Amino acid sequence: MNPVKNLSVIRKIVQLSAFMLLVYGSSLGTFYLADKISGALPALSCAYDMNGSDLCALIPFQHQMDHRLGPVINEGGGILKGLIPTLITLGTFLLFFVVLNKAFCGWICPLGTFQELLQILGQKLGLQRTESVKHSVVEKTRPVKWAILVLLVFGFPLMTGLGYLNHDLGDPFCRICPSRILTTLANGEADQLVVDTANTTTIVFSIAADFLFGLMIALALTVRQPFCRICPMLALHAVFRKIGLLRLVKEASPRCGKCGLCAKACPMDIQEIHTEMVKKDVTFEDCTLCGRCVEFCPDKDVLKLKYASFPVFKADPQYFKVRKKSQTLWEKKTLRSLFAKKDKPVTEKV
Amino acid sequence: MPVISYRAAFICCGVLALNATAVGQTAKQGSEAPKSQSAPTMQHQRGPKKLALLNADGAVITLWKPDLSKRLLEPKMDMVTIPPTGVDNYHAIIIEQDWGDSVDAIIRYEYLRGKPSGKSPTKLTSAIKTDLEIVPDPLPREHHRYYSGEKAAFLIRYRNQLLKNQPVVLQTGNGSSLKGVTDNDGRVVMTLPDDFKNVVTGERDQRSADLSITTEYLESGKHYNSTLSAEYRVSPVHWQYKSWGLAAAGVGFLFGGFLTSRVSRSKKERSQ
Repeated sequence: MNPVKNLSVIRKIVQLSAFMLLVYGSSLGTFYLADKISGALPALSCAYDMNGSDLCALIPFQHQMDHRLGPVINEGGGILKGLIPTLITLGTFLLFFVVLNKAFCGWICPLGTFQELLQILGQKLGLQRTESVKHSVVEKTRPVKWAILVLLVFGFPLMTGLGYLNHDLGDPFCRICPSRILTTLANGEADQLVVDTANTTTIVFSIAADFLFGLMIALALTVRQPFCRICPMLALHAVFRKIGLLRLVKEASPRCGKCGLCAKACPMDIQEIHTEMVKKDVTFEDCTLCGRCVEFCPDKDVLKLKYASFPVFKADPQYFKVRKKSQTLWEKKTLRSLFAKKDKPVTEKV
Repeated sequence: MPVISYRAAFICCGVLALNATAVGQTAKQGSEAPKSQSAPTMQHQRGPKKLALLNADGAVITLWKPDLSKRLLEPKMDMVTIPPTGVDNYHAIIIEQDWGDSVDAIIRYEYLRGKPSGKSPTKLTSAIKTDLEIVPDPLPREHHRYYSGEKAAFLIRYRNQLLKNQPVVLQTGNGSSLKGVTDNDGRVVMTLPDDFKNVVTGERDQRSADLSITTEYLESGKHYNSTLSAEYRVSPVHWQYKSWGLAAAGVGFLFGGFLTSRVSRSKKERSQ
């Protein structure tokens, strides 16, 4: 298949470019390219990365709860006054978000890219892949991202700002976020992969962060996008997904009930893409708008990526055939198969 | 009132000295200050900062904003107040004293809070603010500071020209002194001394102290003395352990491997 016409290849190129910009931005421009593009990016780009060119919206949200809203409430000030910086950050976030919607996860997020690269590595190493996580597990996992968003991004920081918790709980999500460890390691700095013995809170959070990072790497080798499933950014996206211009649209055909290839292709194991027969907008809360379901839909125009009312990529039987074939070839190419070929006697090649 | 207070630079001849006080800050100065157990909140303060100046009669004090607009500051009672500018980012405070046959300068970069400046701090560091200048290359970024035991780089610039083989002296408030010489690019890299006393391994230590980097240059019979003043802190390596972090990540990795192998085993069993 011509790589230029392969949506997954195009997406990888965009992902790698975004990774370079967001993780090494200052090396590409000036040291202070990170001064910053927005300060409220809808993707996990870390402020601890000294060379990064932007930071995710979750960082200011936590700081604003801790240092602004909490103190303002404590001083008896108006909540609106305390929320103004948060609203400004949210406004900036939404300016970006409207443009790409949840595609920030599937196309831009450095941590998402890293997990996909690990998945490719696992596949090439010949590790047995878990093609799709059981629906019951997916169902149980879904609320976790909401809990993290509510508790770690807003709840604990606000409680800290109000004086109920110690200052180390002012940015609890950042303390466990694997993107912090990943992006600093990517810059050759291991100073975030540490156990911080300052107090019990820092010990617990730093061990949890390191453990989670290791766990994510191991899981990502065989399971698709393990951390994305519990990422609070995904939850935040889900809240505003109706205002984004890019959407996944379905016009169900009777064949949809039997097929299910879209759900199998989905890296987030969203079974509802397959089972939904009524709704047209199928940008579900876990969707990252990666477009794989559209690629692997064999029926013409059943699934579409639409930008506003314009279709930008549509399901097509011809594309599906070629894409499926190229995927099969790609998956056959593993290190194990490479060595197996080498072991074969020369006569067999003829 | 808890304040952060740091002695800053002494220009070589000792005629002009600077002592800065940031109002409403929590950490304490120097090696003898008590260790605070709460994390620093200083980066979130938006109030005015104060500089105490000694022997500053006749000195010209200029505040440079991130967009390079300037404002003269007047010392009162040996104190100069840096008013909030409403702009977020590094600002430069330049104190110059022209003695006729010599010029002394102190430069200090302070981060003030406000609305995003939209300007790169490189613009501020690149601008020629005084004849002889020690330029941080680069300034510590967000979530970062100068830390003891870490390397820091500086450029030495006389007007437009970077000075090669230029000697510099680094002195810290904890009594350490280091000498360095710039390379052919006018750059000097120095490892900040890990010189805070009574650091207890495993305990967070939020003490800070001042450091000053000084250099002298003679041009057309005129002596130029310049000092960069900054704050540095106890290195977190005293209470953060990379080997333990790696071990915790390793345990996570093994646990992940165990989980995935269990899943694939149960799948195999089901398929049989």
